[in-house]
Amino acid sequence: MDIVYVGVGEFLTSKTPGQTIRTLALGSCVAVITLDPKSRTAGLLHVALPDSSINKKRADERPGMFADTGIVKLLDEMKASGFDGTGALTIKLAGGASIMGINNTFNIGKRNVLAVRKCLWRYRLGAVAEEVGGNISRSVSVDIMSGRVIISSPGMGDWEI
Amino acid sequence: MSIADAIAKKIAEQPIPSLMAVQLLKVIEDEDHSLKEVVRLVETDASLTTEVLKVANSAAYYRGQPVTTISRAVLLLGEMMVVGVAICASSSIVFHAPLDGYNSQKGEMWEHSLRTAIAARELARYARKSISPGLAFTAGLLHDIGKSVISGFIAGSTEEMAQSCQNGGVTDFIEAERKLLGTDHAEVGYALAQRWGLPELLCAAIRDHHQPAQSDEKYKGLVYTVHLADLISMIGGCGTGSDSLAYRLDNNYVEYIRFEKEELELLLLKIQGDFVSLKTAILAD
Ligand SMILES: [Fe+2]
Ligand SMILES: [Fe+2]
Repeated sequence: MDIVYVGVGEFLTSKTPGQTIRTLALGSCVAVITLDPKSRTAGLLHVALPDSSINKKRADERPGMFADTGIVKLLDEMKASGFDGTGALTIKLAGGASIMGINNTFNIGKRNVLAVRKCLWRYRLGAVAEEVGGNISRSVSVDIMSGRVIISSPGMGDWEI
Repeated sequence: MSIADAIAKKIAEQPIPSLMAVQLLKVIEDEDHSLKEVVRLVETDASLTTEVLKVANSAAYYRGQPVTTISRAVLLLGEMMVVGVAICASSSIVFHAPLDGYNSQKGEMWEHSLRTAIAARELARYARKSISPGLAFTAGLLHDIGKSVISGFIAGSTEEMAQSCQNGGVTDFIEAERKLLGTDHAEVGYALAQRWGLPELLCAAIRDHHQPAQSDEKYKGLVYTVHLADLISMIGGCGTGSDSLAYRLDNNYVEYIRFEKEELELLLLKIQGDFVSLKTAILAD
């Protein structure tokens, strides 16, 4: 099987039929999945932190690490590989988990989800499906051919969003 | 054989870390020891020398000049971290085998331990009463050693245990282990640590990392540091499979660690960076 992995702070797009793009063990990180049914292009971004202003240098080296810079790059990449900017882009989100009894100080998962939503709104975009929060670690697979987005978690099986 | 006996047998069967690691601990425990003694011991072991130099020269520690001598490396890393490296390098069954019972792949236990170690070292800077960063690193590295023993005993029940944590049947995965086996990976880790001859402070950090409130007052600074570091490692996506994130934060950490919300993002960025560079340094040939 043709699987391409997206690491922490990375993003990619694909329109190769038969290919699957996957990101593992999201924890508090958020996966942003973009699907353009028209050009059959799919994109995946693995964001770890909400805002690039904490370290501009790091954001230049690895824009996908942060929600704000990552989403800009992902959308650019979608356009470069076939999304013509018209028609609806389908967006799905996964991740943003925390542990039980988390307090405000350490709830980075929640802050990541809020930051991703906010950055998407700037482009008048919103997610049609979200599998976020809670205390499970999720992995995401996107099948390029069908556009299906599958979530899996150790010991809990797989399900589609 | 009862489960308790079978677990005790398994603890006894786990290999003891190299004589070198144990000797290093003995030297360090003596308050009057000199740095020279530590350096001399490390230098007698070629593979440990290589490991220590790898860590000292990783991007996480690099200070603009390559470190070529053990004495510089020990000064840079601290003695306790050198012990941690020695224990890890000689306990591959504990750190590098898959944990089937946790649905955890080969390498995940090692990555979880390393990331917890780095997080603990960074958090030590926020402790209200000073904690040595090297000690915190080693405590983080060792906190889950009990999982290597427990894993085989929870296999087959894991899904049910994870579900039970999700639907509130138990408060966390530790309770699920205890319910099934009468013991848990923290308690078993403590037994293992004692058998290895680790100092009591490290044993306590292993035993109490999920129930820090139960620890002896004199250990609580370190115990809460490891408790938080473990959480940070798990939310960073470095868990050990089915139990990942199925634990509870004890908010009383605030009595021992002074940490503000505004500091979190930079801390996580630092941990992520050091994790990648240490991982590559240690795995590189
Ligand atoms: Fe644990
Ligand atoms: Fe842990």
